[in-house]
Amino acid sequence: MNKLKSQALIGDIFIIVTSAIAVVFLFKTLWSNVPASQLLIRQADQIIGTYDLEQTRELHIHGPLGESHISIEQGKVRFKQSPCNHQYCVHQGWLNRVGQVAICLPNQISLQLIGEKKPYDSLNY
Amino acid sequence: MTRSTISINPTKTDHHVAKLTALAIALHVLEAVFPSPLPGVKPGVANIITLFVLIRYGFGTAAWVSLLRVFASSLLLGNFLSPTFVLSLSGALLSLATLWLAQYLPKRYFSVISLSVLAAFAHTLGQLCIVRIWLIPHAGVSYLIPIFALAALIFGLINGIICARLLSK
Amino acid sequence: MRPLFLFFSAWLLISCSAKEPLYNTQTYVFGTLVDISIYGETDERAQAVSNAIIQEYQHLHQRLHAWKPSELSAVNQAFTQGEAITVKADIAQMLSDVTRLSTQSNGTFNPAIGQLIKLWGFQNDTFTPHQVDAKAIDSLISKNPRMTDLVIKGNQIHSVNSAVQLDLGGYAKGYALDLGLAYLKQQHIQHALINIGGNIIALGQHGNQAWRVGIQHPRQPNAIATVALASGWAIGTSGDYQRYFYLDGKRYCHIIDPKTGYPVQGMQSVTVLIPPKKQAGVLSDVASKPIFIAPANERLAQAKAMDVPHFLIITSNTDIQVSEAMQQKLTWLDHKAEKIAKVVRFE
Repeated sequence: MNKLKSQALIGDIFIIVTSAIAVVFLFKTLWSNVPASQLLIRQADQIIGTYDLEQTRELHIHGPLGESHISIEQGKVRFKQSPCNHQYCVHQGWLNRVGQVAICLPNQISLQLIGEKKPYDSLNY
Repeated sequence: MTRSTISINPTKTDHHVAKLTALAIALHVLEAVFPSPLPGVKPGVANIITLFVLIRYGFGTAAWVSLLRVFASSLLLGNFLSPTFVLSLSGALLSLATLWLAQYLPKRYFSVISLSVLAAFAHTLGQLCIVRIWLIPHAGVSYLIPIFALAALIFGLINGIICARLLSK
Repeated sequence: MRPLFLFFSAWLLISCSAKEPLYNTQTYVFGTLVDISIYGETDERAQAVSNAIIQEYQHLHQRLHAWKPSELSAVNQAFTQGEAITVKADIAQMLSDVTRLSTQSNGTFNPAIGQLIKLWGFQNDTFTPHQVDAKAIDSLISKNPRMTDLVIKGNQIHSVNSAVQLDLGGYAKGYALDLGLAYLKQQHIQHALINIGGNIIALGQHGNQAWRVGIQHPRQPNAIATVALASGWAIGTSGDYQRYFYLDGKRYCHIIDPKTGYPVQGMQSVTVLIPPKKQAGVLSDVASKPIFIAPANERLAQAKAMDVPHFLIITSNTDIQVSEAMQQKLTWLDHKAEKIAKVVRFE
């Protein structure tokens, strides 16, 4: 320990402390929102299926208004096209984090991103 | 016809540097062969040699040792031009660039420990950039960044301390 | 890098494999998504109970529909014709309840403005952006339809103002939460969470932790914060992002100020948290509205009038107000929002 003290200079301490803070900061920012691994698609009260997010894939899901076009692209997903009137679901854009939800009420289709652990049980919106 | 002979007269320093390079290659290969407890995270003990050479013989020599180590090890391991090699090279290049800047830090306040930590971070950063751009081009990698950063801090520190003790001998 | 990902996926698999006794079902009622989670029951029983609740909701929705033939639209028709009408006891009870809440908010929560909502086109599954005739709005405002125009005698109701048209859109979901909670308790369900279009009520907890609820960011597809919802607590949000249209670059949301007759501008969302009490569900739906509608200097007064110490007000990307009590309950996920948020004292 004494040897260590004699070797480490004030600048070293400064660099070590700054790096440690940076590491803590990285953990806080990058681990607070865990990227999702799976996508759960539901239509009305049916679960259409769960899909791996790490792929590039186009899905066509049928709802009361017609076909909604969903695209999965390497870790993220979005409504690409929807037969609904307001296109709120399309405007939601890409989802990539656990717990994110996009719902198309008119066509009764919901996308929910899941991972190893849900950050919450339900979403207040 | 006259025989032409190229004669090299290696100095004592040359011998010493060559030995150190050989040691760096050995350490690099050894580390590659042993499985790491957390895949992708490696102590990078060969960097101790780079740092040692930097302090003793200057930046130019250190750069040679480091790059020679990367190329020679990959040839020995048979992964030349493979992703592993590119990762190693990008890490080495960015860490050399950082060391080139860091060597101008005032020696009174910053010892080789600082250089080691900075180089370790640069090494990790260089590798992560390649991973993100080339190998796994999506956001999933960001999840791993904190782990790699923590490893860089710990191993950078340990390697720095070891190097400092070697230099003091 | 490949072994690294194998390692992580193996770890993921291991942590996922333990199945917990959580049943979840989603369906569409009230023109929105109903999501019911039940913990600690067999799937069969949880399914039977959820189905019963959903059926009850569908029935309630049909009875309270504001623009299709229903018990409520019959009441509205009677009002237009200046006649009295006899309704079922629960509807009479609901209407006196709504009148009380409307009075409590000094008329800011006003479900008597069904005609205004219709004029703006929000009483429609597929409303379209359109300019509203200013004269029509002015004439409706001058008629001043209020809940206090209702005369409720037993189950007989009439309105002294023929402009009164009821729209319980800001009340029914909350009412349904209370109804669902009562049914769950009656069926001796210990742990459940009901979410009707974002309004949520909790019963019991999720395993050995409280139910956790995310609060939607009004402009991003993420949760801005999470909150632990202990048994009996309810949460509700009024937002300009739920139903709206754009016209000439301006956003028109579905929440209309009964004093001006125009959709509220310059407000993104108001979230309220209601502790366990009678009608916690109703309050979670209703109490956010007066705060959303009121002008900036009257928002705290409205929160006080509605008796909600827990509120979160988001007016823009740079202006967030959170009450002290709410701040203690929140776990921020959006650190930018957390920095911006001003904690307001509220006693």
